[in-house]
Amino acid sequence: MLAVTQCWQCREPVQGPVCAGCGAIQPPPAHPELFTILGLSPSYTIDRKAVDKAWRGASRKVHPDRFAGASAVQRRMALQWTAHLNRARKVIRDDTQRAWYLATGSERPGERDKNQPDPAFLEQVFELNMLRAEDPAAAIERARGLQSTEQERLSALFQSQAQGGTLDGAPAILGRLNYLRTVIDGGHE
Amino acid sequence: MANIGIDLGTTNSLVAVVMGQTPRVLLDDEGRSLTPSVVRYSGAKNPDGSDAPPMIGWEALENAVEHASTTLTSVKRFMGRSLDEARKVAEELHYTLADGEGQDVVRIQAGDKVVTPVEVSAWILRLLYMRANECLMAEPTGVVITVPAYFDDAQRQATRDAGKLAGMNVLRLLNEPTAAALAYGLQENSQGTYVVFDLGGGTFDISVLELSEGVFQVLSTAGDTRLGGDDFDREVAKLILAKAGIENATGKVLRAAMEAGEQAKRDLTTGEIAEISVELGSASVQMQLTRGEFNELIRPIAERTLMSCKQALADAEMEPGDMDGVVLVGGSTRVPLVREIVEQFFGREPLSNLDPDKVVALGAALQADILTGSSELSDDLLLMDVVPLSLGVETMGGVVERLIWRSSPIPVTASETFTTQVDGQNAVDLHVLQGERELAKDNRSLARFKLKGIPDMPAGLPRVKVTFTVDADGILSVSATEQYTKTHAEIEVQHSYGLGDDEIEAMLEAAIDHAESDVDQRLLIEARVEAQQVLAVVDKSLSRDADLLAGNEAQVISQVSVALRQVCEGDDRKRIQELTTKLDEVTAPFAQRRIERDLKLALEGQDALEVLDVLDRSVKAAEDAAN
Repeated sequence: MLAVTQCWQCREPVQGPVCAGCGAIQPPPAHPELFTILGLSPSYTIDRKAVDKAWRGASRKVHPDRFAGASAVQRRMALQWTAHLNRARKVIRDDTQRAWYLATGSERPGERDKNQPDPAFLEQVFELNMLRAEDPAAAIERARGLQSTEQERLSALFQSQAQGGTLDGAPAILGRLNYLRTVIDGGHE
Repeated sequence: MANIGIDLGTTNSLVAVVMGQTPRVLLDDEGRSLTPSVVRYSGAKNPDGSDAPPMIGWEALENAVEHASTTLTSVKRFMGRSLDEARKVAEELHYTLADGEGQDVVRIQAGDKVVTPVEVSAWILRLLYMRANECLMAEPTGVVITVPAYFDDAQRQATRDAGKLAGMNVLRLLNEPTAAALAYGLQENSQGTYVVFDLGGGTFDISVLELSEGVFQVLSTAGDTRLGGDDFDREVAKLILAKAGIENATGKVLRAAMEAGEQAKRDLTTGEIAEISVELGSASVQMQLTRGEFNELIRPIAERTLMSCKQALADAEMEPGDMDGVVLVGGSTRVPLVREIVEQFFGREPLSNLDPDKVVALGAALQADILTGSSELSDDLLLMDVVPLSLGVETMGGVVERLIWRSSPIPVTASETFTTQVDGQNAVDLHVLQGERELAKDNRSLARFKLKGIPDMPAGLPRVKVTFTVDADGILSVSATEQYTKTHAEIEVQHSYGLGDDEIEAMLEAAIDHAESDVDQRLLIEARVEAQQVLAVVDKSLSRDADLLAGNEAQVISQVSVALRQVCEGDDRKRIQELTTKLDEVTAPFAQRRIERDLKLALEGQDALEVLDVLDRSVKAAEDAAN
């Protein structure tokens, strides 16, 4: 939910980025919640079309072009708002970044998230890399199989979260997905 | 009140404005829409001995051959270029660059005058601006200038600076293909995906755009800066020279062959056979060229455009058949084979009811009109451009780390945290790059600067957060904050045509050199400064608008002001902040009444600047409070 604050210009209560009364754009938050600023609820399951629609709608209100005749300060705020919206769209549309964001609050793994996967998994990756040297297609197919298993685990985790579960296991799954992606992408070379 | 759109082209430039609801290109006294992008420095003097303004446009072009050394054409190709790049362009265009006094600024020699590309462009812009002024019988309020989509940061900045130098209020730089799609998209008044195919004299540019729910979004752009209609002329010229048995033609002979090639190309746009008759020094050539022969000659070049088309479609995750409209821009799209290739590739006939020479200017005028905020479309339509080339920094080993990816919608920001490698290291070098290559040396270098004033700390401990911001014009600025001391520096990345690297460094240094100062001391100073700003505003308001005070307001405000002045003498930061907030609170109703009155005055057109000033200050106060 967007907090109700006071418009800096007309001092009327204002909800959202633009004051309904006087039309002034409001100072953007330094660290906005990415789903909320697009008017969406945080969720791992997304509809890309709906995300784009929300992004377009929100952009129409705060884009610097809307404030071409306004003061430099307002145009600066419009730029910051729009940059937030563009980042939100990018993170939410990307499966991996969205998962990291939902699990840790940041779209990129932080220092403490870079744990080594368990030895059994690393051995599997090692075997996949060996196989890739001989039979790239087979290696990629197997990697894709493992990938979809991990994806399902991740989706299940996010579903359980809706029923009060935690996302503590997400960074480990995302780490494994990262290894698998390297195997698959490397196979294209 | 009108905003105008300017297509600042390499060969020709145009100015357009929306009249009623239709964009129109403004004509000169002779009824011509195109103005040659040519400036001639005749060396004439004013009566007082100062330099007279140069000749611009048709006037400058008229005697271009006799005055080749003082006539500047195609100056757009020098915009935002480094000295090394400019030397190559100068060689192709037979220009002389002036020797810089040890500075990396491109200066062109025009007779005995030395000028920068930005100055020359400013003269062209001025001419078009004056034409608009005459046609509208009023000075235009703001200007939208178009730039090629592939223009990098330096080239965009140079264009914006030319506008500023010409004394214009540059509202927006708009990508040429976006402008063209806008001109068609609105005319067709439909949702959908458009591809803009722009083949000029020397460059090719392709963009995929989507119009959906009033947002015109660029999905991708690609192009080739060394591919254009001139290459067609060159192929014909080669054939002519071969026929005459001339190898390694230069100078006048080459120019004559090229001109004959161009004429043949034009003839074959409508005709089936071109008669070529040309004197090449001692030799002369008479020959016929059929459309079919011409097509086979240029096909390999024309088909090179498809590589960029595929790239742009791949970036947009689209297929050729997904396009709802194919827009042609640029004179070279008149060549029938080009149309044929485009039609075949996209599987649909290109839109052609707008003049490909005018469509960009018409779109620029539409966007300019939308930016007035009073156009019918202002509330419904928004243009979203993208970053044409990825932006990044050089990391260890000369590899590029990308921070902002190609085709990201703008405005956009990205941050990266840097640290030190050696104990007590006080500076970090930053090299900002634009391009898609893996190695730094293969990309365009935008700026190099040093972040100085990092406090003495063990290696790896300082956290310098560098933030890149690309604004709606595609122009980059970089800010840096050291996370422990919270010292902050902001620069707009400046290029060789403007500020030198030393100056950029000096700017950064000036902002960061207090990094070692005590944080508390700093906060105290900031609190005092803020208090003094608020006090100054209150004093001014009281003297100007005392009649708006109600009840015992005057007394309360005066009490708080006196108290705040007293604590500012001391070192109690918390108390200063408390009283500043208090003063803000007790003056709020009064400020509200003042703003209302000021706005009323502004609406009556009496004191608009003053009102903006008031608003800016109050928003600054709001921002500071938020921080």
